[in-house]
Amino acid sequence: MPKSQFIDPAEVRKAGKIKFTDIPVNAYKKTVKDEVKTFGKENLVRIYRDMAYLREFETMVNLIKTQGSYNGLEHTYPGPAHLSQGQEAAAVGQAYHLGREDFTFGSHRSHGEILAKALSCIEKLPDEELMTIMKEFLGGKTLKVVESAFKADSVKELAINFIIYGTVAEIFARETGFHLGLGGSMHAFFLPFGIYPNNAIVGGSAPTALGAALYKKCNGKDGIVIANAGDGSLGCGPVWESLNFSAMDQFRQLWEEGRRGGLPILFHFNNNGYGMGGQTRGETMGYDLLARIGAGISPTQMHAERVDGYNPLAVIDAYSRKKPLLESGEGPVLLDVVTYRYSGHSTSDASAYREKEEMDAWMAVDPLVTYRQELVKAGVAKDGDIEKIWDHVRETITRVTKLAADEKVSPYISFQSNPRIVEDLMFSNEKVASFGTEKPSVLAPKEECSRVKQIAGKERFAYKDGKPVSKIKAFNYRDALFEPIIDKYYEDSSLISYGEDVREWGGAFAVYRGLSEVIPYSRLFNSPISEAAIVGSAVGYGMAGGRVIVELMYADFMGRAGDEIFNQLAKWQAMSAGILKMPVVLRVSVGSKYGAQHSQDWVALPAHIPGLKVCFPATPYEAKGLMTTALNGTDPVVFFESQRLYDIAEEFHEGGVPKDAYELEFGDVSVIREGGDITILTIGATLYKAVKAADILKEKYGLSAEIINLHSLVPLKYEKILASVKKTGRVVLASDACARGSFLNDIARNITELAFDDLDAPPVVVGAQNWITPPFEFDAEFFPQESWILDAIHEKILPLKGHVSTVNNYLPVEQIRRAEAGV
Amino acid sequence: MAAAVLMPKAGISVESCIITQWLKQPGDTIAKGDVLFSYETDKASFECESTEDGQLLEIFYGDGDEVPVLVNVCAVGAPGDDVSGLRPGGQESAPTAQSAPVQEAPAAAVQQPPAAEIPPASGDIKISPRAKNLAAKQGIDVRFAAPTGPYGRVIEQDIRTMMEQGAGSATGAAFSDAAAAQAGSFAGTGIGGRVGVNDLTAPLEVRTATAVEVDVGLAYEDVKFTGIRKVISKSMTASLTAIPQLTHNFSFNATEIMAYRAKLKKNGEAQGLPNITLNDMVLYAVSRILMSYPALNAHMLDPTTIRYFRNVNLGMAVDTERGLMVPVIKNANRKTLTQISIEAKSLAKQAQTGTLSPDDMSGGTFTVSNLGALGVESFTPVINPPETGILGVDTIIQRPVEVDGEIRLYPAMGISLTYDHRAIDGAPASRFARELCRALENFTLLLAQ
Repeated sequence: MPKSQFIDPAEVRKAGKIKFTDIPVNAYKKTVKDEVKTFGKENLVRIYRDMAYLREFETMVNLIKTQGSYNGLEHTYPGPAHLSQGQEAAAVGQAYHLGREDFTFGSHRSHGEILAKALSCIEKLPDEELMTIMKEFLGGKTLKVVESAFKADSVKELAINFIIYGTVAEIFARETGFHLGLGGSMHAFFLPFGIYPNNAIVGGSAPTALGAALYKKCNGKDGIVIANAGDGSLGCGPVWESLNFSAMDQFRQLWEEGRRGGLPILFHFNNNGYGMGGQTRGETMGYDLLARIGAGISPTQMHAERVDGYNPLAVIDAYSRKKPLLESGEGPVLLDVVTYRYSGHSTSDASAYREKEEMDAWMAVDPLVTYRQELVKAGVAKDGDIEKIWDHVRETITRVTKLAADEKVSPYISFQSNPRIVEDLMFSNEKVASFGTEKPSVLAPKEECSRVKQIAGKERFAYKDGKPVSKIKAFNYRDALFEPIIDKYYEDSSLISYGEDVREWGGAFAVYRGLSEVIPYSRLFNSPISEAAIVGSAVGYGMAGGRVIVELMYADFMGRAGDEIFNQLAKWQAMSAGILKMPVVLRVSVGSKYGAQHSQDWVALPAHIPGLKVCFPATPYEAKGLMTTALNGTDPVVFFESQRLYDIAEEFHEGGVPKDAYELEFGDVSVIREGGDITILTIGATLYKAVKAADILKEKYGLSAEIINLHSLVPLKYEKILASVKKTGRVVLASDACARGSFLNDIARNITELAFDDLDAPPVVVGAQNWITPPFEFDAEFFPQESWILDAIHEKILPLKGHVSTVNNYLPVEQIRRAEAGV
Repeated sequence: MAAAVLMPKAGISVESCIITQWLKQPGDTIAKGDVLFSYETDKASFECESTEDGQLLEIFYGDGDEVPVLVNVCAVGAPGDDVSGLRPGGQESAPTAQSAPVQEAPAAAVQQPPAAEIPPASGDIKISPRAKNLAAKQGIDVRFAAPTGPYGRVIEQDIRTMMEQGAGSATGAAFSDAAAAQAGSFAGTGIGGRVGVNDLTAPLEVRTATAVEVDVGLAYEDVKFTGIRKVISKSMTASLTAIPQLTHNFSFNATEIMAYRAKLKKNGEAQGLPNITLNDMVLYAVSRILMSYPALNAHMLDPTTIRYFRNVNLGMAVDTERGLMVPVIKNANRKTLTQISIEAKSLAKQAQTGTLSPDDMSGGTFTVSNLGALGVESFTPVINPPETGILGVDTIIQRPVEVDGEIRLYPAMGISLTYDHRAIDGAPASRFARELCRALENFTLLLAQ
């Protein structure tokens, strides 16, 4: 909603027509003979060789998977095998023009794409560079295995063995695989060649590739980004979100000089006709021809084309025309690459949904057959040459497969020698002040930002001379988030932020207000209302090497980005064996006053998923310290905020919120108030109810409560919590999350187990009712109140003389009844 | 639907009770809290209140029947409700007047002496881990804690209260109330019908012998013994008719214990010591000396079998409005003088207020009966079967003694030992008494042992 763009009713309401231009369908008509001059014989033969490698590789995996043997090697492989026999021409065609600076992201059927890109890079890279890459990768561990078994004639031959071995070993879950075998078949990649992960979630690479393209653009990096996906993925929302996001007008119309222009991303749909067993054209889609959808996305129609993916030269031709478009800022591009897979969706797929005639018809035009015929016909190669290629390919694949299957040279990671081997990979736990290499791009010095000036005049503690500071004059929670964010903008050139309404509006809750005065568009921009693409692209941005803060406005919208948060953001550091870092801060805000879909404390969801750090500051002091830590870190953080808190000033930390930067350790806890009779643990805004409850306990019942706020939940250190419980023997845990499945239950369980002998009563969790959030008028019926904390103490911990319970949540009979009723 | 009323569990070790008398009959309309029947253990009598509203549909056990605790005694419900599912042990119909089929219940356990080793397990007591640990550290018997936690749970502050009051003191009363409440004879008035502190501190009904039909106008009144009086009657008759018992009288110089008592009275309180009486010192000395005379710390199981105990559970005869009661200090030989003193006071007080639980009155292995305060100079205590001995403690009188040709007076305290001649002969019994006298004359030396 930039003011510079006027929505003119006269223009908007004017009659007219939308005009489309023709979308080419299989326009390439040349033969090998026609292209000999352009390519040269050697390259034309090499295209065949690469396809042969891909075919034989998948044949090997298929035989191992289904028959337990390949070329005399007996081996069992229990994992997934989504194979791509039949799709070789599409993969090799895609890779032909790509270099290591071009990033490819895979689908879940990506063995071919990975190998094709690697073979292409090996061909292009000088020997020295190849040797360096191989020697440095995993400390040379993978290379050593290959070298021990095989004396290569050339560095390129060695590199081919290396790349195939690394891939097989990764599929076979070996320590010598590309990421210790922790990714496997559907999560393999090799960054030195610009091969980014493939993805077990259909369409999962669309948002991540989008993020990598953003990284290229926002950091002025060379190269384009390919998002591989199948036609079946066009049933997935995140794919559509990514198509739209990649084509946003602002790239061309609003972004500043130097960053202006379309995203360098190409959506490559390997259109094999099926999404699992569902036939896309004719059954599960309505686009008729997949390339048509480009016309619905942008006026450029995404430069969409249908390309014959059964002719490698046709695909190469398309890339040779699209790559320059992307490099000159004309992206995004969409390619509908027609292909076919001979195997099932997976090896358990009996292909009940198709006739043998169909398969035979495609096999008759198999590029491994037809392209070979053309090579021979054009006099580029003789049959004997081709047979030699096949012998060599089979020999190579057999050799490396044997090597990868041999546990002596290709061991599994050992949980016996290191039981924490995966644990150690869940977080990178590093501190990196800046991921950017350039001088941060800003519009003006920080001091000129009106917000910075305004904050400079604010009181940084809630009380001055014993009197409360007026709201408008107090440095508040929202300021406490703003400060470390703007600081990081001036420190790390790679830092970008986006989300819904973040720029002029400053985010729905005005945390970024004023930031747009000094931060250019490319570093702070409004995204479409596309939560999946927002989070998924942040994952890709982080993978590619940049730092990013994205915002989902309400925590309730995490549901819209479920896969991206739980399967992508959380998983990639460990699945990559620590090769990838994920410096992504995902800000979500717990709502208030907006009813059932805008008021939920969902900390338990990300806290449940291994691989995410989760925090929820309740005071300005905590907010600034945690945001500083999150922004200096290398791990994904789901950063909860609360709309009940944005206006509050620091009431507890002596001296208020420091002006200088400081970090608050994730996992530490804030002892808000000391006491000896009962411990109250809180998460989020409930802290303030607990303070009220503690006051009542003191005044009416003579009990001194110790209040501890848990500002970060993952990780979490228990020392102070246990020390407090050991002191008091009694503990209530309170937050605004619905009581059932609340993360507090996990903490209560740990306290029970770790401090059982010190407990004078069971730990009691005080949460919101297990209902929808009713309208704000009924807030007190739904969210924990200070009286509920007293009720819980009275009923379950220590009867308070004269106390009359306000809710019956804490009566055993009621607890049982509610569980039975499902509430 | 009909519901059952259970035979309450009147104490931790009580496994069955005898129905004394039904006060309601089948067909009567009853409300929760109405007294259905009275029942007794060998030590005390109680009333059972209905836990249900409705019509008394069927009575499963009649007057005089022995009924295991927590077994259905009767059914209450709407007229016509099926009660077959409530009959205990799959009875076809109510065996009302017949002797009760006490099948699995170890009826003998009530009469038989309980195991002597350790006091009854405190497994039935609800106590927080923290309170339990603190009690263990402080050597406090959690059974005497008055629970103030939710649902009758003993929590840390209850143990701290005991520590402040001197362990095991006046809180015992509330404990036995709590035990009774757990057994179902208390209706909770707290939130959700829970038994709260208020319920536990409410005065107990006086449970005395109930008078039967009195013929006004006659010059006398026939009262049928029930409860304690009945127990005393049976027990004393059994003792004097079945046991060949005889009494030896001794006296000892009480100068030292009187001096010690005076010293304690003067300085003890400042050091947080309880008011230790001469009787406490006698109890203490008995608990120690008895260990060398196993035949006196024993039960005669039958005329030819004796059971020797490894610890001394010391019964102390207490005169109460309801009659003689003998609460027991468990493991007295392991307790300090202070602990014995505190416990003796607490038990005596409970005996007076009628709040002793049956557990407090069971398991004795030897009894001390002190009539000294009433000026008794010598008497014949009667053995409390199946114990083998009882020590009477007499008053102190000044006696002359010649010291270096001079006549001086000294305070002499009498003791009267009655023993079961089947268990022990006269000479060893006298040796016990004499050693006890020596110990009391040199009490501070005994303390030092």
